[in-house]
Amino acid sequence: MISLNVNGNNYNVDVDPATPLLWVLRDVLGLTGTKYGCGIEVCGACTVMIDGQREPSCVFDVSSAIGKKVVTIEGLSADRSHPVQKAWIKHQVPQCGYCQSGMIMACAAAMKAGHFGNEILSEMNHICICGTYSRIKDAVGEL
Amino acid sequence: MTTYTSVPPTAEINATLATHKLNRRGFLKFSANGLALAFALPLIGRTDEANAALSSQDLANSYIHVSPNGTITLAFGGAEMGQGSMSGLAQIMAEELMVDWTQISVMQALANTVVSYTTGGSSAVSRRYTTLRTAGAAARELLVAAAMQETGDSNRDNFKADNAKIIYLPDTQIWWEYGELASAAAGMTLPNDLRLTNPANFRLIGKPLPRVDIPAKVDGSAKFGIDIFLPGMVFAAIKHCPTIGGTLTSTPVKPAGALAVVACTASNTRGNVIAGSKNAVAVVASNSWLAFKLAKRLSVNWTLPATTADVDSTQLLAYAQAKLVSSAALVAEPLPPTTFTPQSFAPVLEADVANTMGVPTIDATYTAPYLAHATMEVLNCTVNIMYAGDTPVSCEIWAPTQSATTVATNAALLTLLPATAITVHTTFLGGGLGRKIEQDYIWQAIQVAMAVRKPVKLTWMREEDFSHDQYRPMALTRVRAKLAGGKIQAWSYRTLSQSITAQRGRLTAGSVDSQAVEGAVHLPYTLGKYLVEWVPLDAGIPVGYWRSVGASINSFAVESMMDELATAAGIDPFTFRYNHLGNGDPRAMAVLQAADLLSSSWRKQLPAGHAWGVAIAQAFGTWVCEVVEISQPSASSLRVHRVDCVVDCGTVINPGSVEAQMQGGILHALNATLWGEATFKAGVATKLNFNNSRVMRLGEMPAVRVQIMPSTNAPSGIGEPGVPPLAPALANAYARLGGIRIRKLPFFPNATMGGL
Ligand code: FES
Ligand code: FES
Repeated sequence: MISLNVNGNNYNVDVDPATPLLWVLRDVLGLTGTKYGCGIEVCGACTVMIDGQREPSCVFDVSSAIGKKVVTIEGLSADRSHPVQKAWIKHQVPQCGYCQSGMIMACAAAMKAGHFGNEILSEMNHICICGTYSRIKDAVGEL
Repeated sequence: MTTYTSVPPTAEINATLATHKLNRRGFLKFSANGLALAFALPLIGRTDEANAALSSQDLANSYIHVSPNGTITLAFGGAEMGQGSMSGLAQIMAEELMVDWTQISVMQALANTVVSYTTGGSSAVSRRYTTLRTAGAAARELLVAAAMQETGDSNRDNFKADNAKIIYLPDTQIWWEYGELASAAAGMTLPNDLRLTNPANFRLIGKPLPRVDIPAKVDGSAKFGIDIFLPGMVFAAIKHCPTIGGTLTSTPVKPAGALAVVACTASNTRGNVIAGSKNAVAVVASNSWLAFKLAKRLSVNWTLPATTADVDSTQLLAYAQAKLVSSAALVAEPLPPTTFTPQSFAPVLEADVANTMGVPTIDATYTAPYLAHATMEVLNCTVNIMYAGDTPVSCEIWAPTQSATTVATNAALLTLLPATAITVHTTFLGGGLGRKIEQDYIWQAIQVAMAVRKPVKLTWMREEDFSHDQYRPMALTRVRAKLAGGKIQAWSYRTLSQSITAQRGRLTAGSVDSQAVEGAVHLPYTLGKYLVEWVPLDAGIPVGYWRSVGASINSFAVESMMDELATAAGIDPFTFRYNHLGNGDPRAMAVLQAADLLSSSWRKQLPAGHAWGVAIAQAFGTWVCEVVEISQPSASSLRVHRVDCVVDCGTVINPGSVEAQMQGGILHALNATLWGEATFKAGVATKLNFNNSRVMRLGEMPAVRVQIMPSTNAPSGIGEPGVPPLAPALANAYARLGGIRIRKLPFFPNATMGGL
């Protein structure tokens, strides 16, 4: 049994300790907001916050999350009230939306670290195949 | 704001839709806790003629529902893959229904084998404009008719629909909420005059309204196919034969830790079994990662086809180059006189054009590679089949699909269940790009569910997604043109590619695949003596519809050549195009002029080491002109500083969505132009993930400006037309920058991409 704290809730999961956190979130806890894109730490779709830092969860062993606080897109706010979420709605950022959880979590982590503008953008250098980059820049510009 | 709801329609509505035909005017009106008005959106996207045969126009696939408590729901059978169609459709209908954008909710209709439609060909909104306006107006007029009955006043002019109310004008104290009239309205007769709104008075159409699907996409609640999570479900990974066309020799033994190993039969893209061909195994486990891991490690005996060694990018290119010169061509344009076939006309026309051509001013061959889709959400499908003993009794499918109807048809083929026992939920699509029209992943998931008899989600690893795509076809295009006095006197255009249509068994032998030449025919330019030919390529690479299909390939050749000719003539690229647009489409002229104006100030003061390029193209009825600014910091890279984009897509439904689709089309085309290429060695795809199939990251995105031309023409597509002009605009800028003309895509074929 592995004990996890995700979005303030405690869970005990019975999985191989080498299982990436991404798949425990998605297939065991049913927290499907965090996405699989590449599985090799290139695209950023799987980004979550671990103890406040952005992490690609596709290469993060679940056992390494023991004793840490994991925040996923579902835990960012209860009502889309996080400033990043508000800016994303205001600027109508998502297209297909698939990469957006990762983008938003990376952005929120950068804000939490006290960063602004281009600093934030450089920390969310993910892949979006839909091309929402232009609007992400607009949205981040006002954070 | 308007919200997206994932609550499925009632069984009552669904059953009625599936079994009742529309009336002569295209509606099915019935009472189902209020008023339900069903109608059929045109069933096919252009890219999917096959569905025309599968489906019938006289069954409904979408409906409006007004309940007695006033909730108004619009349900559509289509795919929302990021293009904003779900909102666009709702916006059109809400306009005529005379409701505010905040008063409705939108949902995805279910599909069985007779309902729902295919989303492709940039048609999701544009082709359904009139149907939706009429449906919204019909529902409104039924509500008005109910109010007339209540008052006993049959003068329509005494009633006004506004803000989800019917107001009685002689005494405005008398009014009804739509909900109050809903049940009575279901019993009314539809009047002949539906009083469509004068476009000058549109309240919602043409406004940048917030999209209904966006809130769910910022909090993780939007359900993509890959997010379906059912109690007791198991997880499957697919492992294909690594070579194209190979088959399974024997089903491997179940490895430790796996729940099952299932051999999967290949289907052609429409779900017909390819005789004897098991081309993949699915490994089933308790989570996707474990299934992935076990599938990767699984040792499998494959029977490789004899031709495997020939499936090699270098060889394929050499073979295509030889064929381009030696093979007989089919004439696509001008249309052959009735005494000729496309093939018999070719030598006659060739001789005629050659006569005027003499020695061409430019004789150039342009090459576009095979190209993977790589939608951000990998292919996946969830299936739950219920059994009574050994007999299946129902089948429920959740899939990110551009063609729910075909999914339902395939489920019926495999399970032998009647249509009424099959339900298909179209989830949000994490990108479609044409890949999710295909059925391979659906077909596999149904087979796995039948084998394990549990709810199962089958997911393709990214590596399978790249290596078993149905790629954009490689194309080689030879263009010869003659200039005299700055004007084109002769134009000979010959393109060679595999036919997507033929691979699906739907191309009549000896005829031209229209998608192979789109972007090369109906050009707005005056070209003198000209011909456009196509040579079919017989190579065994699976090919499919890639955002904008033939247009992205042919526009590269046409617009690169136009620029080469402009340079040869010593004429500015805009002016050269103006000079050849004399008798062409006035919309093309207007778009080009607008782009000229939009970009003129920065083009005049380019920093040293920067260059600009322009191209214009039409796809799906929409004209787009793009002007790019580039510089080259190193031999292996290119910096794209900006893209100015002017688009004429007829009547604009939602300018915000048009802008987003142009931004998205430009990014997608930048990826393809700079780095995109699927390569094969000994039958095996060699690029398996984003690390060796580079795409643009956020920090590299150029500044994009989109200008939309005002228009009262019928709406045309926006999902794909942003793509085609980008590659030639970039090549044209590159030629101006350093004098090197790039005629073979991508610019940087061996680019790789590091981690985050
Ligand atoms: S899925 Fe983790 S970085 Fe792509
Ligand atoms: S919104 Fe579709 S991949 Fe980013």
